[in-house]
Amino acid sequence: MQDVNVLVVFCSRTGKTEARALAAALGAVQAKANIRLRWLREPADDRSIQEIAGWKENRERMEKEYIGPRTVDADWADAIIIGASGRPPELRDYLASLDDNVKPVWIGDGDPRLQGRQVADAARAVKNKSRSQSPASD
Amino acid sequence: MITIRRSQERGHADHGWLNTYHTFSFAAYHDPAHMGFRSLRVLNDDRVAAGRGFGAHAHRDMEILTYVLDGSLVHKDSMGEKRTFGANTVQAMSAGTGVVHSEFNASETEPVHFLQIWIEPAVEETEPSYQQIPFDPREKQGRLRLLAAPRDGLNGEPAAVIQQDAFVYAGVLGSGETVQRNVAPGRYAWVQVARGSLSVNGQPLGEGDGAAISAENQLSITGAGTDGSEFLFFDLA
Repeated sequence: MQDVNVLVVFCSRTGKTEARALAAALGAVQAKANIRLRWLREPADDRSIQEIAGWKENRERMEKEYIGPRTVDADWADAIIIGASGRPPELRDYLASLDDNVKPVWIGDGDPRLQGRQVADAARAVKNKSRSQSPASD
Repeated sequence: MITIRRSQERGHADHGWLNTYHTFSFAAYHDPAHMGFRSLRVLNDDRVAAGRGFGAHAHRDMEILTYVLDGSLVHKDSMGEKRTFGANTVQAMSAGTGVVHSEFNASETEPVHFLQIWIEPAVEETEPSYQQIPFDPREKQGRLRLLAAPRDGLNGEPAAVIQQDAFVYAGVLGSGETVQRNVAPGRYAWVQVARGSLSVNGQPLGEGDGAAISAENQLSITGAGTDGSEFLFFDLA
């Protein structure tokens, strides 16, 4: 079975989207994918951060626990899952920087774990298909 | 036959926040001659700086044991576990169908030093599980204290259950103190020195050294140096 790499990128303030991103990542792992989890830090002023309960604490924790998405992560990935309640400019910029062949999948309203599995399986199917269509190297 | 894996021959990476030695191939360190021993696949000797750690990442189909020597770790995982543990505890995570977890130094001021062990399971696709078993440090003094075993191999001491015919023990020996151990015919053993120095059947081992043991029925492990030794002992199919 072909190894498939799934990148999960998320923005989260209260930790709710983080939990959904982790669940999607777990689903991808259960579908035997390799995963990378990346938190995209939203720039925000102190006042905005104070206005949302838990944002400050979660932001400090996530700054410690995650690294941000890098170009090499997207190059590594066969599929990308995005978790965000809005589309902050940094996320738009990151998505714009991706190769045209990569179509990110947004975590929807359903079970994120199931969605992670489906994304991994779909990426594997595409990868296996392209592999079977490649000319033999010898 | 006893084959020694010297500390300085291990793979090594210093990332600043993480200073790690790999007895077997791991991450960027790859040596086809050192891919594991029997079901023992990974044996990492990690020092993590204060407040730092490993962010959320995933495992599948692996029995992962963590044995802290100094300091403490915070573990969080997709099974909902959030636990802190330090020395004289065995932590075992059976990854099975998949686990996402993070592990961080619990201290903002002190480093943490621990050994992490991966054992390949005999069966795959099992339900993930988490175990954390503390014990009295006196239980490893001058003897082998069972840390992990298959369910039918438990000896009455509280120990982690793993999905493999592998028995993991911890021992502490004072200088000149000896523990004898039989290895059943057809079985293998690994000795890993966590601290200090010792000898195995007269062969000296220093801190960080390991010894792969095959076709030896009787082992005599003796603490050496001024402070003796702490070590892990693996009895493997």
